[in-house]
This record gives sequence, C-alpha cells and structure tokens, in this order.
Amino acid sequence: MTRTPVIEACGLTKQFNSFTAVDGIDFSIFDSECFGFLGPNGAGKTTTMKMIYCLSPRSSGELSIMGMDPERQPVAIKSMIGVVPQDNNLDPELTVAENLVVYSRFFGIPRKVYKERIEELLEFMSLDKKRNARIKELSGGMKRRLALVRALLNKPRILILDEPTTGLDPQVRHLIWEKLRQLKLSGVTMLLTTHYMEEASQICDRLVIMHEGKILLKGNPHQLVQEHTPNYVMEFSFNGCMVRPEKLAEKYACHIEIYGNRCFVYADSEPVLNQIRTDTKIDTRIIRTSNLEDLFLRLTGRGLHE
Amino acid sequence: MKTALPGCAWRIFSVFLRHKKCYTKHLFANGFPPFIEPLLFLAAIGFGLGKYVDTINGVPYSQYIAPGLLASTAMYTSTFELTYAAYIRMEFEKIYDAILSTPIGIKDAFLGEILWAGAKGFFFSSAVLIVITLFGLVKSPFGLLAPFVGFLTGVSFGSMALVVTSYVKDINNFNFYITGCCTPMFFLSGIIIPLDQLPEGLRVLSFFIPLTHCVNLMRELILGSFHMSGIIDLVWLMLFIPVAVSCAIYRIRKRLIV
Repeated sequence: MTRTPVIEACGLTKQFNSFTAVDGIDFSIFDSECFGFLGPNGAGKTTTMKMIYCLSPRSSGELSIMGMDPERQPVAIKSMIGVVPQDNNLDPELTVAENLVVYSRFFGIPRKVYKERIEELLEFMSLDKKRNARIKELSGGMKRRLALVRALLNKPRILILDEPTTGLDPQVRHLIWEKLRQLKLSGVTMLLTTHYMEEASQICDRLVIMHEGKILLKGNPHQLVQEHTPNYVMEFSFNGCMVRPEKLAEKYACHIEIYGNRCFVYADSEPVLNQIRTDTKIDTRIIRTSNLEDLFLRLTGRGLHE
Repeated sequence: MKTALPGCAWRIFSVFLRHKKCYTKHLFANGFPPFIEPLLFLAAIGFGLGKYVDTINGVPYSQYIAPGLLASTAMYTSTFELTYAAYIRMEFEKIYDAILSTPIGIKDAFLGEILWAGAKGFFFSSAVLIVITLFGLVKSPFGLLAPFVGFLTGVSFGSMALVVTSYVKDINNFNFYITGCCTPMFFLSGIIIPLDQLPEGLRVLSFFIPLTHCVNLMRELILGSFHMSGIIDLVWLMLFIPVAVSCAIYRIRKRLIV
C-alpha cells in the first residue's frame, strides 16, 4: 500500500542570520500516525514545528502540508491544524470558556457549533468544572489540558504538540498520553516534540532524532533501539572500584561509555553482564534492557549542548 | 467535517472582538477615565485659567479648548492601547503567538488591532462629547459627527504607536515616545494654544502633526464654524492614514515573523 504523506519536507532549512537552526532535513509524515521529533534543547525541533504551522517562513527547501505550500496557503493550512505551543500562551484576561469562544471565532466556527464543541471538549479533558475560572487560578496541568482543548476546537487533521508534558506531574502526563492515544485512534495525525524518551516510546509510531539542526536517525522507536544499541546495559560508579574500563571492553568485547564517574557497559546478552559483574566484583544492581534514552545519549552525546 | 475558511473581513473582526471582550469585562473601571478626565481638565484649564484669558477668535476659552479634548483623548487612548498594552500582549502574554497559529495572519491581527484603536478613539471622544454637551459647550448639531473624527484619530495614532512598538525592546522605552512625541504634539496641535500664536517654525511643524488636523476638524464640527481649510485637514488625514497603517503592518511583520 502506498500512502501519500500528509506532511512532506525535502531539504528543509531555516537560517537566522548566520545561524542555521534547521539544516536541510527530509521527512514524510503519513495520515493518522504519531510522529516524534526528539532532540536536546536547540536541536531545531520548535523551529521545524513553526515552519509547519506557517509561523516562520523557511529559508530554503521544500515543505508541503496536505499538498499545500505554507507560504501560499497559510489560511487553509492553519484552519486544519491544532497547535499546543511550548508556553501555553492562554489569554490571561479571559476565563477558560471565554478563551475558547474567542479562539473558536478566529477559526470562523459558527456560534451554535462552538458552544456545543466547547462543552464536549471541556468534558473530554475533565475541565468542565473550571469553565468560569480565570487562567491564573489554574494549575500547570490544567493550563496544559486547556491548551489541548483549544487546539482541538477546529477538529484538526494535524495536531502539533510542542513538548506537551514538560513540567507536568506523572498523573497529568499519563492522562495527556491517554487522550493523545484516543485522538490518534480517531484519525488525527500528530506531530510531537519532546526530550522525554519515555513519552516518545509511549506514543510515537515513528520518530526522528535531531541534533544541531540535522536528523541523525529516523524510524520506529523500538526498532531503532534494537538496531542501534546492544540489548542490555549495566551501570556502576567508579567509587571504590578498581576496574579499568578499557580492559573490560577488550576482554569481554562489550561497548563501554563513561560519563563523570559513572560507567555504562553495553552487551547483547544479560549473562555476559552478569559474568562481568562476578569476575570484577563490581558492586551494582543495575543491569537493565537498553532504551531510547541510551540511544539518544549515544547519538547526541552526554554533555550539555547549551 | 470541513468548515468554510474564514474570510478576511471576519478574521480582522474576530481579533477586534477579542479586544472588545477583554475591555468590556471591566466596563466600569475602563469607562471611568474618559468621563472624568475632561471634567478635571475643563475645570482646571477651561474655567480656572480661562478667567484670565480673553476670548479666542470670538469664542470663550473653555469653549475653545473643549473640542480639542475629544482629539487628545482619542490620541492617548489609542496610543496606550498599541504601545504598552500591545507590547504586553506581544512579549509577556504571547497572545499574538496564539492568535497567529489560527487562520489569522499578521495583517488580519494588526488591522484588527488598529480597528480596535479606532473604535476606542470613537468611544472615548463620544464620552468627552457627552461631558462637554452637559456644560453647553457644543454649538452645532454637526458635533454628533465628532466621534468619527475620534475614530480617524485613533486609527492614525494606533498605527503610529504600532510602528514604535515594533522597534521597542524594553517596555520602559515607551516613555521616550509618550513624553518625547505625544506630549509635544498635544501642545503644538492647537488644543490650548491657538496655532497663529505659535512662532513661525512651530506653526509649520504643527501642519505635519496629525493631531493638528484632528483638532481642527473637531472644532469645526462642534462649533459649527466651517472653513475651506477643513477640507485640507480631511484630505491630510486621508492621505496619512493609509501610509501609517501600511508602515505599521510592514514593521510589525518584520518584528514578529522571523
């Protein structure tokens, strides 16, 4: 089955004066999938999102959204997109319901339709009791849920989520993930930026890992981990441990990474790691399956990027 | 389900409606100043200082200054709306980022802003008109048209304010514009000092101040004393407004779209 992409980018580039924020990236996003953009701060994720929702014109390359050019048909494109931006930017002068009414009007939604839809969505995100609350009375999690309600008012075909759960408590994060899964089932195409690896593995069908404006890897999160990292990791600290890591790597043919005084030993099978632990008398209980975060850190480095 | 795309006029109007909603939420607090300020001004300058001033062009001093107050109040309200208030919406509340991720474009959003500034000019000058009518300072039924001049004043100064806002990097810098530009305009526009009393250089300068033409038009309508020069004032504004609005949209686009 050949599917036509909903969003297609080819050599997409964004420059700010001499700084290249997005450096010639290619990707295709298909109908009803959840597509993730992962990367450290400053990788170019948000800039890519802004080019997609027509807020920032591209410097070069091709970008097509539902077959349209964001520079030529922004009104048509934006009317089919819902955006949950990084900072909620809700209107603090208005109440919860007023925010939604004002926003519905920007889309030209008729009064009868939006009145009903607002009630439906407030209930969907369990905000119906906060209808008349002022924005500053809401908790961080409620603001985020309201931003999501606002993004759904126009029944978008594409939902753009820029770090949807950053700074939220685990209950709200899981609630938001649950709602996003429901939306995906209803056929909404989702684009998500995040630097939470758990979030990406929970809800993304496919993702790209970005670093310094470029795409380093793309694919299904579970397959990527399988293909690009050994299956198991043992972690230990050097405190009171006389092991020389380079010796270990040589002797057991495993991959080793060191960050500060923390050592990560990668191997394809668990018994190998158990063997190393017994042989070297390393005092650690952490032998686990490798995950997206290991892959991410290997690709983008463990140091800070800012 | 597919909804029809919102047309350009609706997009602009929906931004206008957002501002109207925020403003009318605190109608009493927001509606208070335009009624009280002209009262204070008339009491202090018109009736107080006016005792020591002879008539100007055959008109008592309080009656001479009253029409100008409609223009100055429209200038100040639209200026504050699109300097401080717009800056807060842009930099602190990030309202425009939210608005621009809907079908609203830069042009729609800021034509909506300017339209709102014009509407505030209209309502504020209407409030002053009511006050000065109560004092018996309106001499002609054409005075009822004065709020429309208030609208033009609001649009002119709203656009100018937006150009200033597009350059400002710190909210305190607006002081330079308000004190450095708006206050001198207030004194040089013939509201309290007749233009023909000004030195030659300042009189020429006053011709290039939009407020001068707004004041002239207000005075003609309210006092019912029409001159040929009124046409020049109207034409001046009609030429100025499209230029000011275009500059404002051009500048704010440069600031917001990177």
